[in-house]
Amino acid sequence: MDIFLSFQLLAAALITGVLYALISLGLNLIYGTMRLLNVAHGDLVMIGAYVAFMAFSLFNVGPLVSMFGAAVICGGLGWLAYRSIFQRMLSNSLLLTRLEENSLLLFFGISVIIQNLVILFFTADRQGYQYLSEIIEIGDVRLTTARLVVLIVGSVISIAAVLYLRFSMFGLAMNALIQNRDASAVVGINVDRVQMSSLVIGFGITGLAGALISVMEPITPVMGFPYTMSAFVIIILGGLGNIWGGFLAGLLLGFLEIFGIAATGPEWRSVLVYGIFIAILIFRPQGLLGSGKAAR
Amino acid sequence: MKRLSLLAIIAAVLVLGSLAGFASEYMLGIGFTLFMYIALAQSWVILSGMTGYISLGHVVFFGSGAYVFVLLWGLVPVWLGVAISGLVVGIGALIIGYPVLRVRGPYFVILSFGLAELVKNLVLINDARLYKSLRPVFGAPPLEQLYLSMFILAVIATALTYWVRRSRFGAGLRSIREDEGAAETIGVLVARLKLFAFALSAIIPSMVGAIFIMRSGIFQPGDAFNPIVSFTMVTMAIIGGSDDAPGPFLGVAFLVILQELLWVNWPEVYMIILGALLIGFVLFMPTGIYGWLSERLARSRQNAS
Repeated sequence: MDIFLSFQLLAAALITGVLYALISLGLNLIYGTMRLLNVAHGDLVMIGAYVAFMAFSLFNVGPLVSMFGAAVICGGLGWLAYRSIFQRMLSNSLLLTRLEENSLLLFFGISVIIQNLVILFFTADRQGYQYLSEIIEIGDVRLTTARLVVLIVGSVISIAAVLYLRFSMFGLAMNALIQNRDASAVVGINVDRVQMSSLVIGFGITGLAGALISVMEPITPVMGFPYTMSAFVIIILGGLGNIWGGFLAGLLLGFLEIFGIAATGPEWRSVLVYGIFIAILIFRPQGLLGSGKAAR
Repeated sequence: MKRLSLLAIIAAVLVLGSLAGFASEYMLGIGFTLFMYIALAQSWVILSGMTGYISLGHVVFFGSGAYVFVLLWGLVPVWLGVAISGLVVGIGALIIGYPVLRVRGPYFVILSFGLAELVKNLVLINDARLYKSLRPVFGAPPLEQLYLSMFILAVIATALTYWVRRSRFGAGLRSIREDEGAAETIGVLVARLKLFAFALSAIIPSMVGAIFIMRSGIFQPGDAFNPIVSFTMVTMAIIGGSDDAPGPFLGVAFLVILQELLWVNWPEVYMIILGALLIGFVLFMPTGIYGWLSERLARSRQNAS
């Protein structure tokens, strides 16, 4: 049983957990402020990873620099999606009546388009690159420098993002929108601007996380899908729209996944994640931290 | 007018059915795909179109039916196997439907998707443990019979949607879609109706899955539970219109032609067009081609009188 007490596993769980927290933050913002279910979320991870890969192989720029490029590109996509699709949708009363279902279909369409465009341009083959791959030892933990860097950078950015959303004026406006969209408009918050920004920030953060992930796993056009599912599990675990709950749930899922795989085997990963997911949805749809009443 | 359209339908059914006798292999193949998706999209409409519980994981029934069928392969006569698959999956749907349908709205949508992936992975693990990564199906009936059986399923599914749409049962389902709470308050047996619709929309896809396996000649969990099948089903129903039987018909005909033109040489382009169509229809024509057409017709009739 001592495998479960090893720091090796703990480090792996922390890395996964921090990345999950970061990715699900974006999803949570988008759902919280606009009630949009972004099933294309993992594809932003994929785009971020491709940006980092291209920057490295074409210009020899490392992911620590190109991750900002990935954030800008994905943020730009967020802006484009808002201006071209979701602004129209959110002001159409017919579509608003079944907003969540409709948004899900729209994002599904977007996801299919993104994935197939990437396949057309980069083929479906797996790509990858070597970056900071020498192994270092801290105590009895052995891991590549790249993973250590991912852990540090990921933690800093996700904590900074959570604090920003908690204390800045803009973060407060977002929180207000998450709590009550109509009332926020009444007290003078520019709803349209906050909505657009949360889509841009949500997409951007996720693209950044994708650039970090590119140093750890092979890059393929369909790599995003497991992240979409994990991110949904996390925001439901933490309570939809609950930023802080989502952050904790991200860490929690990272630990459950890594230790669960250690106990069973990698082929059980999906069963584990979906099992947790279905159990939560059926028994506690308001999330672990949620209050007694269901969200709908 | 009504009698005329009924006659036309009967004539079409006879012609399409008798095609099995003389059409070329290629035509039968296209017909097979066409009727397969009609059966699937109509089944999807019975649950998701009527109740508004959008299922993004309907492939779970297709795949489970195929799996049950392949497990029975060689043990029972072929068509009995197909019937048993439908029965087993239908009963399974009744059992899992009970907890699953307590979850509403967006939660249900995500849950339906997760469920399909969960079942796929369980099948994968089970087959890996038995050292059966693929299960071939040798000696399947000839294409003419498969075509005919798929055609029959498509007719049944269409008739079923037509009947549900006009029955008391369907009215109950549609009241769930409009406002579940209110429906419950005025005495609609919400839970029972939903469960029944769930099982009803599971049976035909599972039989379709079983027949599909005979056509492809091999069972692979990755193919049988392919999320693209769910996606295509949803897109077809939405494009055509998901509130009545003629809707999916239009959507399927449109997409199968597109698929036939593009799938082999440019699968990516096909998928991109599919995605763009889905976005366009949700945004600009949410009631689908059929909804739009009947609205148009009603308006011009009003103007005429």
